[in-house]
Amino acid sequence: MKLGNPFRACLLSTFLISASFWGAADSAQAQERGELRIATSYKLMTLDPQYANLNENTSLLSHIYERLVYQDENLELKPGLATSWRPLSDAQWEFKLRDNVRFHDGSAFTADDVVYTIERIRDFLKPPSGGFRSYVSGIKSVSASDPLTVVIETNGAVPNLPLFFSSIFVMNRPSEGFETTEDLNAGRSPVGTGPYRFESWSSGENLELARNDAYWGGKPAWSKVAFRVIESPAARVAALSTGEVDVADAIPARDVASLKERGARIASVGAARVNFVQFDVSRETLPGVTDKSGQPIGNPFKDRLVRRALAMATDRGILVDKILAGYGTAAAQVFPNGLPGTSANLVPGTPNYDEAKSLLSKAGFPDGFNLVLAGPAGRYPGDAESLQAVAQSWARIGVNAQPSAAPFSVFNTKRAAGDYAVWYGGTSGEAADIILHTLLASPNPERGTGALNFGKYRNEGFDAMLAKAESIEVGPDRNQALAQATELVMADQPIIPLYHFHHIVGYGPRIGSYVMHPRGWTTAMQTLAAME
Amino acid sequence: MGLISVALGRLSQALPLLIAMSLIGFIGIHSVGNPVFNVVNIETATPEDIRQATIALGLDQPIWRQYLLFVGNVIRGNFGTSYIYHLPAFELVIARLPATLELASVAMLIAAPLGTGLGLVAGRRNGTLFDRTVLKASVSALSIPSFWLAMMLILVGAILTGWFPSGGRGSTASFLGQEWSVFTGNGLWHLVLPALALAIPNIALIARLSRSGTIEVESLDYTRFCRAKGLSPERILFRHTLPNISVPIVTIIGLQFGGMLAFAVVVESIFSWPGVGKLLIDSIQLLDRPVVMATLTFISVAFVALNALVDLLYAVLDPRVRLSS
Repeated sequence: MKLGNPFRACLLSTFLISASFWGAADSAQAQERGELRIATSYKLMTLDPQYANLNENTSLLSHIYERLVYQDENLELKPGLATSWRPLSDAQWEFKLRDNVRFHDGSAFTADDVVYTIERIRDFLKPPSGGFRSYVSGIKSVSASDPLTVVIETNGAVPNLPLFFSSIFVMNRPSEGFETTEDLNAGRSPVGTGPYRFESWSSGENLELARNDAYWGGKPAWSKVAFRVIESPAARVAALSTGEVDVADAIPARDVASLKERGARIASVGAARVNFVQFDVSRETLPGVTDKSGQPIGNPFKDRLVRRALAMATDRGILVDKILAGYGTAAAQVFPNGLPGTSANLVPGTPNYDEAKSLLSKAGFPDGFNLVLAGPAGRYPGDAESLQAVAQSWARIGVNAQPSAAPFSVFNTKRAAGDYAVWYGGTSGEAADIILHTLLASPNPERGTGALNFGKYRNEGFDAMLAKAESIEVGPDRNQALAQATELVMADQPIIPLYHFHHIVGYGPRIGSYVMHPRGWTTAMQTLAAME
Repeated sequence: MGLISVALGRLSQALPLLIAMSLIGFIGIHSVGNPVFNVVNIETATPEDIRQATIALGLDQPIWRQYLLFVGNVIRGNFGTSYIYHLPAFELVIARLPATLELASVAMLIAAPLGTGLGLVAGRRNGTLFDRTVLKASVSALSIPSFWLAMMLILVGAILTGWFPSGGRGSTASFLGQEWSVFTGNGLWHLVLPALALAIPNIALIARLSRSGTIEVESLDYTRFCRAKGLSPERILFRHTLPNISVPIVTIIGLQFGGMLAFAVVVESIFSWPGVGKLLIDSIQLLDRPVVMATLTFISVAFVALNALVDLLYAVLDPRVRLSS
């Protein structure tokens, strides 16, 4: 057999080598221009900054648009487009705006633009856009008392108002009317005040940005920023290892070691979020919950001792060390310990199977029972695997859990339909109180509490403590009150906090360092260029 | 006259197919889950947000009414607006088409000549070392899962050697109002690995078909007469054997090309190639119903059109088809 004469092989390799040089020359040129290339898992859905309150949009659009207030990496509030803010009375706030800020189209940023932004969210945007309306629902009126002062009147006290403004991107008022989502998506350049100007995008694929030389906060580090949406984690890792991108976010923990071997560096931080097991504590009988012989039994989760026993029999160490490969923090409350509103007294315990078993006997289940443990697959790091691990832990006290994982949308549909008795979930928020408010406060549509309290857990003592804490102005007193409320509710074990997974970002040699944010954003502003 | 009746016949076949497809697709995607949970952020939305979004998307209506609404819109040329991207669904599909089209075409341009050639030579030299190698290689190429093949190509072609990029489309050039990678060097370079990943199983498939066809034809009388007449083996192979084995090959090329347009999901996902297949799978995951339906409709039309094209090619390639019709 003859494969081909040596000359041809030689020709081929010459071709390949010259071609690879050609490719290298191309990327060297990119470096000269100071282009930052980021591979992100976040799919940019829309150019409308108020279309959906998802990290997908927030992360990428924060280059273009800015907020009045920022949350730094300790979740503390910092001045953004507003330089200061203060309550004038119980139901009135004043925001002083930054002077000499210009939008990308050259127009000046004034209080009127803030008014426009709030009106657009409150009065103009129609569903399904949303997630932002709750931030402005407490606002009665908003007015510009002078070009750099915004006065906001609220319905009752809203001490969290500055925090809410850390989620709202400010747009500039067009000559007339409101801009529709379609207008913005149709490629009319989105105009903000941010450090980078919009160049081009294609939905779900890429976003190109250029430096805003007139940025009030100083000249941004990169002349260009190119985001590439790469959803497959393996492909993101590959793009980073071959140097095609400088930063890749949402790196799977199992790939960290091999990336380090290839010279990439890793940054990580405990996410400002919690993954947990939630019980249905309201219904009399539950689907899938039976005694050992398969006969239906009454809802065992109404009994605090049962919840306590299951929490005690949950091995968080395995979740964090094995499933998350160390890139996770065992959880005992809604935020990683140390963030505002957390309690230093709540620390995750090691499993104690004997005591758990005796608690279970005391509750009237000496032989345990059967249940189906539901959860989403592929939504959070370690989600489906956690079901298996938790089920194995529970089996040691006689509770036979059958793990049942489903795609996130299916899981949600079934959970909303009441098909589950006990399930794995996850949630995040700007602050600890927001999670407490939606996850653990009694469901109350009027007050808007308990939206994620699918287990219908009610604890009036906790509700009162939380309401009191929420009425306190943001600061140490509020944090202290929140910590106490958390201690009270966690003693009752309405959920089993499992872990706070870590956001992991890998970066290449052109990046000096990368500052992680617990909210999980990936931005060019978080990079410091390497000294060259 | 003949052509028109053929075209009409085709259309009358295509219409029930499209209706059946849309029904199955519609019911299928509706039974998976509720898209509202992907549109609003379940972690921050209030029940009121969810209720309003449900109404805005028309999901509070019974499914038959939703279906009739969908059909009515499609007749007016409107596939609805993507829940996720808030762009017209059909535009999204059209925007992804160039990427898929060029990937599938390049893969087929590699696979068809290479596969046919290998098969012809292997069939001609039936039983030799070359033939056995082609056979064995084609078996392994067909049994390798495509995701593994794609990953190996990335590992060898991108990570270990650094010759090719590991994913993405590279730079594109504008042509006919769409962006194409094939017109830039960088874009072509990005095409190599994903096109190979798609081509390799097809090379194997086509080679096996053309090999068995060749063996069959080589034993027939007319080939022996050709040989007796003193024609060169090359001439026999290319002038007589090839046309006679081409009908099944053209069929499989047509089918596979349609398959690549529609379902190159794995390869497109791994190479983050922004094509139609990836759009379909993303939209199914996000339950973006308008986009799923627009993609499915496009795929059905593409398959029908490709099949018609293949039938036409038969007539060109095989005089017997012309005579019988």
